[in-house]
Amino acid sequence: MTDHSLYKETLLRHYRHPHNKCEGELQGADVVRRGDNPRCGDEVEVGVYLHDGHLAQVKFRGRGCSVCIASASMMTEAAQGRSAKEARQLCADMKAWFQKGDGAELTEPPEDLQALSAVREYPARRRCVLLSWEALDDALGSV
Amino acid sequence: MAARDVKPGDSLDPLLVRQDFPLLRDAPLAQGLHYLDNAATTHKPQVVIDAISDCYGGFYGPIHRGLYPLAEEASGRYELARERLATFLGAASADELVFTRSATEAINMVAWGWARERLQPGDRIWVSRMEHHANYLPWQRICRDRGAELRIIELHENGSLDLAGSPELFAPQTRLIALCQVSNVLGVENPLRELCATARAHDIPVMVDAAQGVSHLPLDVCELGCDFLACSAHKMYGPGGIGLLYGRAERLQEMAPLLLGGGMVDEVGEGTAESTWTQTPARFEAGSPNLAGAVAFAAAADYLEGLDRHRVQAHLTMLTTAAAGALAEVPGLRLLPLAETPRSAILSFTLDAVHPHDLAQVAGEQGVAIRAGHHCAQPLMRSLGLVATARASFGVYNRMDDVAALVRAVDSARRLFS
Repeated sequence: MTDHSLYKETLLRHYRHPHNKCEGELQGADVVRRGDNPRCGDEVEVGVYLHDGHLAQVKFRGRGCSVCIASASMMTEAAQGRSAKEARQLCADMKAWFQKGDGAELTEPPEDLQALSAVREYPARRRCVLLSWEALDDALGSV
Repeated sequence: MAARDVKPGDSLDPLLVRQDFPLLRDAPLAQGLHYLDNAATTHKPQVVIDAISDCYGGFYGPIHRGLYPLAEEASGRYELARERLATFLGAASADELVFTRSATEAINMVAWGWARERLQPGDRIWVSRMEHHANYLPWQRICRDRGAELRIIELHENGSLDLAGSPELFAPQTRLIALCQVSNVLGVENPLRELCATARAHDIPVMVDAAQGVSHLPLDVCELGCDFLACSAHKMYGPGGIGLLYGRAERLQEMAPLLLGGGMVDEVGEGTAESTWTQTPARFEAGSPNLAGAVAFAAAADYLEGLDRHRVQAHLTMLTTAAAGALAEVPGLRLLPLAETPRSAILSFTLDAVHPHDLAQVAGEQGVAIRAGHHCAQPLMRSLGLVATARASFGVYNRMDDVAALVRAVDSARRLFS
């Protein structure tokens, strides 16, 4: 792969061994929200486990391309421990980072998320990245 | 020597053919490119590009609207293009050809202008499981509107039509059968001649979506015996933004125009009084016609006939067969359809544990342009239990080198994600 490749090592690591991914139901989650992209068949369900207004844990399940699964895995790690408000801000930052093109920078980016930056050059894959983040935002909007 | 000058009997030489395509020959973006997305759209030979340029630089003007020499010349060239394409498709008369924006528009014109008002509750329109959305959604909508049924011819495992499983196909309730010539996903060819003959014997009109076949299969609408046929120029090395509807003369007479406006009316009624339409095919070409598109479309037909569609077909079959054989050796790769079948220039496949979008992206990073997705054929994907496939499709300028690059790219995707 070239330096321009979408498939950075971190992305592939999260895809091969996703964190907080369930095979079965998202048991005991306080809120569960689903996101799907019928155009490419990506389907992700995100479950949020709350404790004292903070995200004690975020889990997901579903299927999708490497970008979708790796992004969901990174999302569960980046959101964990944050307050609902902080986590929603992070979702908004992620959306801005992918939708605004070159200029926008992710404020205080968790390190792994930088591995997704190559995806910004491929508008066709933005939806794959943002699917789990939108589901999280949706979940937190309802608590 | 141009590729067109090759003697009869010689096989197509893709290296010579490539010289006719300036983008593939010279464009920086095309260096190292293995373009295998020809089912989506094809590149344009110099003669087609020149035809557009010659039109705007030499004889462009209004069509059927002016009385001065330039307008007469423009109108003449437009009708000459129609005649050329009528010969290309084997139509009995140029009046049976309507220029449209696309094959999609042509199918919608038949659905709305011909089929809809003939549908009663309980009537049926038949399509097949392999149809592109363009030959599915227009029929679905008019059936829903009119309380009619949209019936589907299912497929055998090898992708062929399960006609025995559709015993009511030629029943009296059937108002129309709409089928593709070649599936844009599976690459299978449908036995249209036999189907049209049986349909004709039952007085059932047939609409053919020839978008994927016209570039490489010899086609003669009279011989085929269809009532309507749609195709687009951009998938046969012609310009974008123009397509054709062929309609047998009596069918076009029965059809109502979808678009109303300039150039299609004889007398406009006062207030709500009825207006009268002009003769076909102008009746169906409201608005200013696309002159450059029409002459370049005709140039593409000349180009293809110069290459000889039999030779084109043989070349593409050779590439498709070689690619199918080599891809089948890649561990975890599944070709569609699952059972062995003759394929027409298109190969769809899946690779275990690799999403088709990842597969296409990895291939793209290696200069191999293939398509991934549902290919606008969701009903087919659903029946196969898939959401997406990767698809490689071949054109006249492809060669064995492109096949080798495809197989290398697929194998490297397999290794990357394993």
